[in-house]
Amino acid sequence: MKLSRYYINGVGIVSPQRTFDNAEFLNEITHYHENVLHCVLPEFKDYINPIQLRRLSRMLRVGLSAAVICVRDSGERAPDGIITGTGYGFLHETAKFLEEIYQYNEKQLTPTYFMQSTYNALAGLVALTLKCKGYNNTHVNKGFAFETSMHDAMMHLATNISQNFLVGAFDETDKAQYTIHSQAGYYKTESIDSVELFKHKTIGSLQGEGAAFFSISGTRGENVWCEVADLKMIFCPESGDALRVHVTEFLSANNITTNQVDVLVSGLSGDVKHDEILNMVIQEFNHATDVRFKHLSGEYCTASSFGCWVGASILKKQRIPDVLRFNQVIATSFKTVLIINQYMGRNYSLVLLKSV
Amino acid sequence: MQTVDELIPQLKELIIKQLNLEGVTPEAFDADMPLFGEGLGLDSIDAIELIVLLDRNYGIKLADPKEGKKVFQSVRTMAEFIQLNVKK
Amino acid sequence: MSRRVFVTGYGIITSIGTGAQKNYESLINKQCGYGAIELLDTVHQQDIPACEIKLHDHQLSELADVPANAGYTRTALLGAIALREAIAMAKLSLDELKQSALLSATTTGGIRELEKYYYQLQDPSQQGDFRVFSDSANPGEHTERLAELFGVKGYIGTISTACSSSANTIMMGTDLIKSGMLNTAICGGAEALSKFTINGFNTLMILDKEQCRPFDKTRTGLNLGEGAAYLVLESEESVEASGKKIIAEVKGYGNTNDAFHQTASSPDGGGAYQAMLKALTMGKITSSQIDYVNAHGTATENNDLSEGLAMQKLFEDKVPYFSSTKPYTGHTLAAAGAIEAVFCMLAMQHDLIYPSINFKNQMDELTITPQQELIKNVKLNYVLSNSFGFGGNASSLLFSSVKK
Repeated sequence: MKLSRYYINGVGIVSPQRTFDNAEFLNEITHYHENVLHCVLPEFKDYINPIQLRRLSRMLRVGLSAAVICVRDSGERAPDGIITGTGYGFLHETAKFLEEIYQYNEKQLTPTYFMQSTYNALAGLVALTLKCKGYNNTHVNKGFAFETSMHDAMMHLATNISQNFLVGAFDETDKAQYTIHSQAGYYKTESIDSVELFKHKTIGSLQGEGAAFFSISGTRGENVWCEVADLKMIFCPESGDALRVHVTEFLSANNITTNQVDVLVSGLSGDVKHDEILNMVIQEFNHATDVRFKHLSGEYCTASSFGCWVGASILKKQRIPDVLRFNQVIATSFKTVLIINQYMGRNYSLVLLKSV
Repeated sequence: MQTVDELIPQLKELIIKQLNLEGVTPEAFDADMPLFGEGLGLDSIDAIELIVLLDRNYGIKLADPKEGKKVFQSVRTMAEFIQLNVKK
Repeated sequence: MSRRVFVTGYGIITSIGTGAQKNYESLINKQCGYGAIELLDTVHQQDIPACEIKLHDHQLSELADVPANAGYTRTALLGAIALREAIAMAKLSLDELKQSALLSATTTGGIRELEKYYYQLQDPSQQGDFRVFSDSANPGEHTERLAELFGVKGYIGTISTACSSSANTIMMGTDLIKSGMLNTAICGGAEALSKFTINGFNTLMILDKEQCRPFDKTRTGLNLGEGAAYLVLESEESVEASGKKIIAEVKGYGNTNDAFHQTASSPDGGGAYQAMLKALTMGKITSSQIDYVNAHGTATENNDLSEGLAMQKLFEDKVPYFSSTKPYTGHTLAAAGAIEAVFCMLAMQHDLIYPSINFKNQMDELTITPQQELIKNVKLNYVLSNSFGFGGNASSLLFSSVKK
């Protein structure tokens, strides 16, 4: 993987903040008070033709819009491959089909909900829309789904650096799933202001959603955002020390020390139990600006894609909006961003981004 | 038993709802306009949705989906088919 | 870096048997898993036949050697059984497992359990054993569970690209090894029958109410099936160092997207053709060197036409033996690619070609005909295995024999 260099040449993201306009960087912050964060939606008509639009579920619209924004941002580079990652896929359509199965006792059912509940429906839709007949894959491995999609693209690009891949990740909020997961302790029981998430040192996080696409290539594009230097996934590290060792090894494999990391983007979720190990590791990075993002995105399997957008934005725009900062480290330029994410205290990922 | 003319507006509403034709009003499409290909531009999945529409709302089961091609040519041909086959 | 990747073990469970030996015996004796659904609670028990594994979940738990009521979905149980066999055949040590990849594919995951307890799970006043299935909506859940069960920590992945899913895990496992990241990757998939899937396919009107007839003029659709299978892939260096027996080589693969329609393949077979061509190109062999194609052959009108035309275009007037094994096992969706890869292993090891059961009437659009009888004593040097799915996903795997 380190034999090649990889560039993010375009980005498109729809999230619980107003992020679909790449000219902005968290200019406007949306607060949520019911522990569920919904996407701030773009005007779909701007990205999807009306005949295609009417057939699409909400999340397919969100995902396709993000993909189109990304392709336009990359200078309309037609992708050679499309890879998406998701944790729970299309929960609304899954729920609707299940509910119809019960309501109609398995008779007189219609195909649309079933078809649109399949995990690879977005990757297929983007391929259809862009007429991309190249490599196409969908990863559904929980908190690693985004990173695996990125890694999958990087392995292909290593053998052909001139190609470019669209790597996307998405997940959606859903009432039924929220109810089920609430009972398993996933979410805060007290209602809070989402932006104040890290002031509440209690169990549980907030349910979030979003879709983010990145145009990745082995060659620099005109609108390049940053370089993806390396990534690593760690499943269930035994302890804070074990995670620390993984991080140190990762950095040294990239000839970097902790002091050379300018910005640490951490995927703390606000759940005091799940954040424990990650908090231990964050303390090693006292020279870096402490950036967090799940108070803006909420928590979901592929939330690290929002984190990746945050890191890439910092490197491209060379500034950090105050709402992201969680310590007093002031810097004037940013060259190296390390993203450390955790999902449910089980899926840990490291992504190293560099400015170009 | 409804007449074809009574069925047509009802069918238009049902089609718009079942197929999620956002922004399409009943006035916007003509009873004789082709539903598939040119015209409303429906596809094979829409055809299945229409088969279910017939079953759920009129109790008519299309035994062979291929029959659908003739039946679903336009809203009028659908209305005529329903009038002939609806179960009271 | 261009390391060679070898198959050193495999495991399988389908409606035609638990384990490779039983599956092999069923294949050569034309014993199919087709029949009425009995175990899954559905109103369609009378009208939709399938290839169901006639083992209750508690029996699967025993075979998998896991405790009952521990939250293993049926998909995970099937996966565990197949994995045990694969790991044993490849003689993987605990250390090797720790550094391996586990890539498992599924389209249903735990939907069978979710649909059963859907309303109870949402009702806080209802408590009970079913709460172990709180996260069964997640497709990656089964892989994490299996990784923890077998001590796999090197890389954990779950792929879901409809019917091509487990073929894609084999591709990705090959890539991981070729990239130098790992020496061992266990790749495959698991799929249990569910009301969700049966009803879903029923709405698309592509199920046959009788046993499916791949490539037959009168075919009307597929039968669903359930099962799991995994291949153990190892690097050249790893195999040389251990002196392990090699079963076959993963010579090449092709992954393309048809970009034609959300659920149908393009009628000219473009995606299928490109996927097979890519596999041959990667393997640096010509179409005339292929000895057998295990077709996707679902018996839907659309797939068999598309795939048949693609084969005609690729092979021209030298189409090799081909057959679909789906009349035996049904269409096992995400697990199909891996199950059929195991069948390819067995075919290469035993020098035989399976019949395409139930074929009687030549399709008008094709000049080629599937193999109708079992052929023995046929040396298979190169075998292609196809898997094409919804969303336009087309995958083709190329295996080569290591027998002299």
